[in-house]
Order: sequence, then C-alpha cells, then structure tokens
Amino acid sequence: MGRISELIRIGPISGFRLRTKLLLLALTTLALPWAGCQYAREMETVLRESEKQSLLAVTTTIAGSLKGRQEWLFRADSLPALSNGNARDITPVVLSGVPLIDGRADEWDTDSRNLIRVAGPGGDSLQMMAAIHERRLYLALLVRDAKVVYDASMLAPLESASIGDRIWLAFDDTRGGQQQLFFSGTGAGKVRGRRIETREYGREEAVEEPRIEAVWQRSGDGYVLEMGIPLSLVGQHIGVAVDDRDRRGAARSSYGTLDVADLRATGRLIAASPNLTDHLRQFAQPGVELTVASSTGAVLTRIDAPALPADYTRMRGFLPRMYRLFLDGDAIPRSISQAERQRAAEGLTARVAKGKPETALFAGRYENSVIVAAAAPIYSADGKYVFGVIQLAQTADRWLTLRDRALTRLLNLTLFVTLFAVVAAFWFAGRMTLRISRLGAASETALGREGNLSRVLPESEARDELGDLSRSFSSLLGRLDEYTGYLRTLAGKLAHEIRTPLTIIRSSLENLESEANSDNAKVYISRAREGSERLGAILTAMGAATRVEEAIAHSDRQRFDLAALVRDAAGAYGGAFPTRRFSAQVPDEAVEISGAPDLIVQMLDKLIDNAVDFSADGATISIVLRLDNDHVELSVANPGPPLPPETANRLFESLWQSRVESDKRPHFGLGLYIVRLIAEFHGGTARAENLPDNSGAIFTVKLAR
Amino acid sequence: MKKTIAIVEDERAIRDNYAAAFSREGYAVRGYPNRRDAMAAFAARLPDLAVIDISLEDEPEGGFELCRELRGLSPELPIIFLTARDSELDAVSGLRLGADDFLTKDLSLAHLIARVNALFRRVDALRRPAEEKQVIRRGALTLDSERMSVEWNGEVVLLSLTEFWIVYALTKHPGHVKNRQQLMDAANVVLDDNTITSHIKRIRRKFQVVDEKFDAVHTVYGMGYRWVE
Repeated sequence: MGRISELIRIGPISGFRLRTKLLLLALTTLALPWAGCQYAREMETVLRESEKQSLLAVTTTIAGSLKGRQEWLFRADSLPALSNGNARDITPVVLSGVPLIDGRADEWDTDSRNLIRVAGPGGDSLQMMAAIHERRLYLALLVRDAKVVYDASMLAPLESASIGDRIWLAFDDTRGGQQQLFFSGTGAGKVRGRRIETREYGREEAVEEPRIEAVWQRSGDGYVLEMGIPLSLVGQHIGVAVDDRDRRGAARSSYGTLDVADLRATGRLIAASPNLTDHLRQFAQPGVELTVASSTGAVLTRIDAPALPADYTRMRGFLPRMYRLFLDGDAIPRSISQAERQRAAEGLTARVAKGKPETALFAGRYENSVIVAAAAPIYSADGKYVFGVIQLAQTADRWLTLRDRALTRLLNLTLFVTLFAVVAAFWFAGRMTLRISRLGAASETALGREGNLSRVLPESEARDELGDLSRSFSSLLGRLDEYTGYLRTLAGKLAHEIRTPLTIIRSSLENLESEANSDNAKVYISRAREGSERLGAILTAMGAATRVEEAIAHSDRQRFDLAALVRDAAGAYGGAFPTRRFSAQVPDEAVEISGAPDLIVQMLDKLIDNAVDFSADGATISIVLRLDNDHVELSVANPGPPLPPETANRLFESLWQSRVESDKRPHFGLGLYIVRLIAEFHGGTARAENLPDNSGAIFTVKLAR
Repeated sequence: MKKTIAIVEDERAIRDNYAAAFSREGYAVRGYPNRRDAMAAFAARLPDLAVIDISLEDEPEGGFELCRELRGLSPELPIIFLTARDSELDAVSGLRLGADDFLTKDLSLAHLIARVNALFRRVDALRRPAEEKQVIRRGALTLDSERMSVEWNGEVVLLSLTEFWIVYALTKHPGHVKNRQQLMDAANVVLDDNTITSHIKRIRRKFQVVDEKFDAVHTVYGMGYRWVE
C-alpha cells in the first residue's frame, strides 16, 4: 500500500530527466498505429463480408438462370443414370487451356480420379484419361503392351494379314447412329481414325474420319494414343477398346470399355452441353472463375481462372510487409497447393449440393493472396432436387488492396504525427529545461553572493507555473536580502547604540581623573580607561564596513596609473612593516584604469595587513601586477600556513575570519570583505588560493581596465 | 566675565559630564535636553558657544534644525556638533549648515576642550586687527593661524576647525609627506583612515569651489599627503 502511494506521489518515471519523461510521453502516440490496425481489420472484415455477399448474389443469380436446365448441364437427360453410374462412364476433366496432342501422356494428370483403367491379358492394360476444352473432347490412351505389333494398314487396312495392334473408338452420334473407328499404329506420328463402310457388292472400305485428330507414339512399356474429338460428333455414349495381337494377322484379344463382341459403346460421356458454356459466357468476368459441377461433384465446365491480385507486386514494399505482419495471422491460411485448393472447392460443392448457398475463403496460389468463393445449388424445375452446383471464385485483392492502401496511409500519417510529437516534446522539454536551469542558475548565483541579492530573476514575466516559481523565488530572495541587509548593518547599528553608554563611561572616567584620587584609585581608573578604549576600538572596527560602503558610494572615478600607485605603495610598506621584506613586480609602462585611487590603496593596505598577519618575521611578501587583455590582476602572496580548503570562498565575506592565534587587535574579518567591496566597485573580483606548493596563500584581485 | 557654553544633549549623564569638564576649565555651562528648551533659552540670551547633539529626544534630526535656527540668530556663534553618528552624510550635512566642527563622541574630553578653547581664541582674534606674524603665505594660499581663516587667491575658503588644522599641518612644511596619524594628531582627533580620506576630499572640494584648478594637496600612495606649491 505504501509502495503504491509512493508511486503515485513520485510517479513511475521520476528517475528520468524531464526531457526523457516527455519523450516517453510522446512515444505513447505509437498507440495510434495499433488503433489504426484494429480499425483496418474491422474495415477488412466488413469489406470481405460485402464482397462475399455480392459474389454470392451473382452466384445465386446464375444458379437461378440455370434452374431446371438439366439438358444444358448434361449432354442428354442423363441425370437419372448419374446416380447409378457404371465404371465405363467417362467424366472428362474440364481444362482451362488447350491440351497439346503430341502422343505424350506426361502433361496429363495421371492421379486424376477420372482415370479409367482396364486390365488386358498377360499383364497388358489400358489407361484412359478424358478432358474437355471448349468444344472438344480429348482422350489419352496409355496402352501397356509387352509386344507392340505395327499395323501395315496403309496399303490394305482390311487385309487380315496386315493387321497389327489396333484401337477402336466407338460412340453414339447425335442422330442416334453408332460410329466405330479404328486407329492403328504404323509408326510414330499423326494417325487418322478409319471407319469400315460397306459399299456396293459387299465391298468393305476403310474411310478416314478427318475431324478427329490423333497422334500415336511409342512409350516405354507400350504405346500412347492421344486424340481430340469435336463434341458435336459425340452423342451420349463413348468407349474405346484395344485389339491386341501377338503378330500381324494373328487372332486379336480385345479389352476396353466397349462391348468387345459388337464394339458397342455403353459408357456414358458425362459432360456439359456446349450450350451451357455459351450461356455462362454472358456472366463471365475477367478474373472470375466460374465452375459448374454436377451434384455429385463432377466438374462440368469451368470458365476463366482467378486473376492475380491487380497490384500484387506494388504491395511488396517494406512498409506494407511490416504492416501486414501486424494484421494477418488469423482468418486466412497461408498459400496452399493446387490439390488442396481443389479439395477445398470440392468440399464446398459437396456442402452446397445439399441445398444451401455458401461462401468460403481459400488461400490463393501466391503469397498472401486470398480467394473468395461463393457457391449456389442449381435446382430442378420443380425445385425438388439439386442437380448441379455453380461456384464463383475470385482473388480477393480488392479489399486487401484497399486495406493495405488505407493502412499504409494511416501508418505513414501516424509515423509522421509521432515524429512531430516527439520533436515537439523534445523542443518543449528543451525549452522547459533551459528555463528551469536558467532559473536554477540565477537563484544559485543570487544565493551564492553574500552582498546585494539580485531580486529580478528570469521568467518572472512568464504567466505559467515557472513564472509563479520565479516570483516566489524573487520574494524569497527579497526577504533574504532584507535579512542579509539587516545582518550587514547590525554591526554598525550596534556600534552606534553602544557608543552612547561608552561615552558616558569615558567622560565620567576623564572627569574622575581630574579629581584628587588615591594611588589605588588611579590604577583602577587607568584600567577602566584601557578597557573603554579597547571597547571604542572595537566599535570603530565594527563600523568600518559601513564607512567603507559609504566611502565607495561617494567615490568619484578618475583615470589613474595603477602601476605607479602600486610601485609607490609597495615602496612605502617597507617603512610601515620593517619586519617583512616586500618584492614588487610591476610593469614598466603606465597601466591606466578607471576608479578611485584612494580605495585601491586601501584595498592594497588590507591585503598587505592580511599578508603580514599570516607570515612570520623576515618573510618576503610579493606584490605582482599583471596585465591581461581586458583586465589587470593584482596579487599579494605571502609564505605561511595554507588556507583551510573549506574557507577559501568565505574569506571575503563580512565578519568571517579564520584566524587561529589570538591577537590583541580586534579582528572582525572585515579586511578581506573591504577588499571584495573595492574590487567589485572596480568591476572586478577577489579570490584566495593556496600557493602551488602549499607554502602560503595568494590573494588575487581582478580589476576591469 | 565667564564665557557661556550651551550643551544641547538629551543624554543626561553625558551632558552633566561635559558640563563638569567645561566648568573645570572655567566656563559657565548651561545644559538643555531638547531643541525647544534650548531655543527658548537662546532667544532670551545667546551663549558664547554651542555644543549640539544631532538626535534630541523625539527628534532624530533635531540638532540640525537647532543649528539652522541658531545660525539664523547669530552668524558668528561657534557651533560644534558632537554626536554618536559618524556617517559621512551627517558630517557633510552638519558642516553645510554652518557648524564650525563636526565631532564624534569618541573624542576625549581633553581634545574637546582644546577645540573649544581654539574656537574662543578665534572669536577673540577676529575681534582684533590681523597680526602679520601669524599669517603663513604659500603661493596663492594665505593662512591665519590665529583667526583660523584660509584664503586662496584672496578668496575666503570656509573650513571646519578639523579641516583647518589638517591644512595647517600640511602647509607648515610644504612638500613634506604627512601620514594619516600625523594629520590626526594635528587635528586633535582620533579618526580612522576613511575619515581622514573624506576630510582630505572635502578640503580639496572646498578649495575647488574657489579655484577649479586647485591641485595643491597630493596623495602619496601608501604614505599620506603633502602640500605642493
């Protein structure tokens, strides 16, 4: 509890300088970007939601337009069969790009669930993959064949001796007839499918079908046939079969999705009608992927792909990256693989197939890209069941861009504001510190000087708390000044008050002396006189400071030669103090200063008195006058005891003395005080130091020139 | 006939002591504690000499006022200020009011009596024709030691008794340096250095009133003063 109240009292950051404190305060503006991030997140959520909703609205509209149009989704009304499909049904993958027909299977997705595998005799097998792009159906047939037998059908395709390995393609045509074409490998390259037609006289002829494009190619363990069939040729059923022979003309062993006996196609082609694509084109927007799937999840058609984020590259700067670091980290997973995304899309389709539109977010293929998807069920005409699902997906760059842009601007602004606040705080703190330290320095010097206190402090005009502080300091100093003044004049006043009773005593004694007295009485009288004289001397000394101050106040300044004065005075001291030697070091040229020569002499007298008092008989007192640029230094040095260090600055104060030995003459420590007063009158200062080797003291007076 | 000295002093003990001393010297003494009593008596009959304190009972500056009034009654009457106040300002004011001397109470009775005697001598001397042998001439200076009067270029310089004695001491042996102690002895006073300095300053000023170029009193730094012709 005590700890808390102490914290409240002194504040948690009381240990710092004012400037640091204000700086720390200014740094709290950094909370602005945090708040900004929160806001941006809110904004992002709203934007994302609105985008989802608008996408969902479009999806629902398209789904509505497809309501009851089973014939568009499925090539025939194959819907009832869809639910009980057989293994021979072909569900082609819907491709967004044209596949290359080159007899190589490597670009095909062999893991696709659309892969149909049929095992043949002796380890042989057929793998079939199907895809749709635009109006063509693409098939890739991968045949594993231990012994590939080339056909020699170029000359006589129906000559049984020349027949090698063949592949049959059979489908219903749109008019309900059966089409059966065979492809024979005669070497790598383009091949044509041929139909056996019976002409006159029962003559059979192999007629080429030019609309089907195919390429035959050897593979490592057999051969590959790739073909592209216009969808317009194909009806409801389609299938393939392999006629495998050990040698030319040998008996075939057939296997595949056809009925081997009559080469009839029974597997259905589950694909959207070309009309669907036409219908969907009117809804297509660049960058929006539109997918229609059957209710079982088979993709029937897909238009376009989600575009790259529009200014994806522009957002890669350092700052946006930093900003995103603040923001992301929830809601959206990092980039995922194509397969994962596909699974997610399928999951969405499966959920929507149950009857309710839905939206979802996927991570895009690129770093930080997000895909928003909306899916809606397509109902039958009577609205009783769902036969398809339409799904729209687009890169959600719009809100991300908006968010990043807003955020970047916000953060830039905040950084600027923070910088400004810091600079302002620094400036303010600097000014405040300067003002306070100026006030502090002024009050210190005002207190440090014993003489006249300067009452006008800086900042006293200011109207703020510093001004109040300054004014209270001023009034405090004023009171202190009055008190100091009182102390200073106390000695003089006291001397004055004592003088009257002393005069009574003295005049009484003098009168008494003129009477006839006994010898004893004379002794006492003389003692009493001695005492009163000493008292008188004390009083004179006590009043000396006041008299010097008066003398200074009434002094006139004149220009005079200080060098000559010091030389004369130094010469005279030899006579006045025969027990000391005096050495004077004075420049030869005239040293003109402005001041009162009488006072200077008096000052020198006091310094010499002091030097004599503190030196032994026979000592040499040296007087040095030194010139400087704008002032002169007059110093008096004497050998003797060094000054006690703590008194060095107080020596020049009134009534201060550090005299050790007792002396008959009254001392009031006024001598050096008078020195200081006179030095100050001449615009100078007085200081006392020990000689460098501590062999004595040196008193130096600096005077303005 | 005995000469009459009036002592205006509010401190009874001092007044009586001075009175006793003057009586011993053969003077008739009359004491007054304040200005009103003194003026009432002076209006009836003037004393031959007045010793006045500055602060009198309830009037801190009563002595000055009394001096002015007394001067109004008689221009020649010797007036001595005897006071515990020793400030420069008081001395200047007192002398400006026409007092013949301004003394502090540090002064011994013997010195005081010497001054009183001297002033009476001067009054007597002024009543007789001037005697040539008492006159010292030093260039522009004419000094009559009996009348205690000083002239510079034939013009009278009004000096107080103390100032006169200082000038007298300096001019007796022109060119000789007199130190402060010697000057104090000559003036029958015990003063400190500053008071001697202010006396010298006042003397210079008074001569300068008569002659702006007056420069006969020289300071010899560290030693004292000398008269230069």
